[in-house]
Amino acid sequence: MNCAEVQQVLPEMVDGSGNSEYQAHLKSCPECSELVSDLELIASEARQLAEVDEPAPRVWVKIAAELRAEGIIREPQAGPARPVLVPSARRRWNAWWLVPVAAALVAAGSYVIKPKPSAPVAEVKNPAGVSVAVTDYPAAPKPATTSEKSAQAVADQKTSKPNDSAGPDDHAPMMTASTADQKFLDGVAPEMRSAYEQQLQAVNSYIRDAEAYLKQNPDDEDARQHLMEANEQKEMLYQMALDRVQ
Amino acid sequence: MTDPKQAKAIEAEAIERAKQGDEAAFEALYNLHKRRVYSLCLRMVSNPAQAEDLAQEAFLQLFRKISTFRGESAFSTWLHRMTVNVVLMNLRRKGLPLVSLEETLETDEETPRKELGAPDLKLTGSIDRLQLQRAIEKLPPGYKTVFVLHDVEGFEHNEIAEMVGCSIGNSKSQLHKARLKLRDALKFMRAEKAEKT
Repeated sequence: MNCAEVQQVLPEMVDGSGNSEYQAHLKSCPECSELVSDLELIASEARQLAEVDEPAPRVWVKIAAELRAEGIIREPQAGPARPVLVPSARRRWNAWWLVPVAAALVAAGSYVIKPKPSAPVAEVKNPAGVSVAVTDYPAAPKPATTSEKSAQAVADQKTSKPNDSAGPDDHAPMMTASTADQKFLDGVAPEMRSAYEQQLQAVNSYIRDAEAYLKQNPDDEDARQHLMEANEQKEMLYQMALDRVQ
Repeated sequence: MTDPKQAKAIEAEAIERAKQGDEAAFEALYNLHKRRVYSLCLRMVSNPAQAEDLAQEAFLQLFRKISTFRGESAFSTWLHRMTVNVVLMNLRRKGLPLVSLEETLETDEETPRKELGAPDLKLTGSIDRLQLQRAIEKLPPGYKTVFVLHDVEGFEHNEIAEMVGCSIGNSKSQLHKARLKLRDALKFMRAEKAEKT
């Protein structure tokens, strides 16, 4: 077998051992041998290419919204269930609330938000007396630092009232919404308010539970990651609502 | 980090719950497979925005049919196959060749080739994976399809031939030429790097 003949059969041989003639040629021809080694190396390295790329969170939001619109995802019969936080390594976290929120935002074609000319800053006091600056609507909430998130959660807990619904009085905050949430809701079209309010409560409830769990288990990286993602998702949903208005 | 056994159990439970329309189950399945699906799409089209659209479409198709999943094959295999079909359909719609046109134009004169002006650097022993990734992105569409499906994703030639619509021999030939092109590209990159240092 010569070099040209090896070239002819190479597409068939490179993944296998080849016959004795082929092997004998590779032993005697450094050029062909090097070629085969390189091609094998490329194939094996390609198999090791990591799945490092992750789609943006919006991909799941769109999928969930579409599934809901098509009736493939079905609403739970009861009201929004709270995530179960099992205090063990097998605890499972998921941003289950994201789907109804996304669907509510996406499906609501009549979603109207009254634009406001400026974004005043509201101040939320938590029991520890720490002031947390919350950018008011229409600006989307900025990613909070861990301490801000904790302070926000504590503030939320303080202002929570079971089964409360937001009234026209700004000084009577609803069950789980922060001041920023409340003002955001004030700008939502009346027909969407109830649905959005319910979903926002669920979001905040999830974040609060996660924060409480993390406080007790500060070394739980999994919980930390999920809390961070939950906050990001909330921010993204606000942004998504804004995008629909613009 | 979830171990494979645990992931399998989570997946099986999620599939059953997803059949009942459970939103958390759909999300769990998405989270289990999003990286692989998106990575496959991205490698095939080399465009993040387009890859996201394709990944979205693949998951939607899968979730729409999840009630028909009976577990005869692995769920990941099913999803993987569906993703490839979505990508290939997209390429067809855009008129991009699934099999490289160069295949019909090239002759079989190939002897061990040397890049003009490129020093004869050996690849053997190490390949920079980032460079390999870049080289794959630059492959002509047809070569890229077969190479990604076979060498990266692990499909067999008979599966590729069926999916792409070519002969098994053609698939093998395309793969071989893709590897040759990658070898040349990697050597060129290595030479460039050597020149800079």
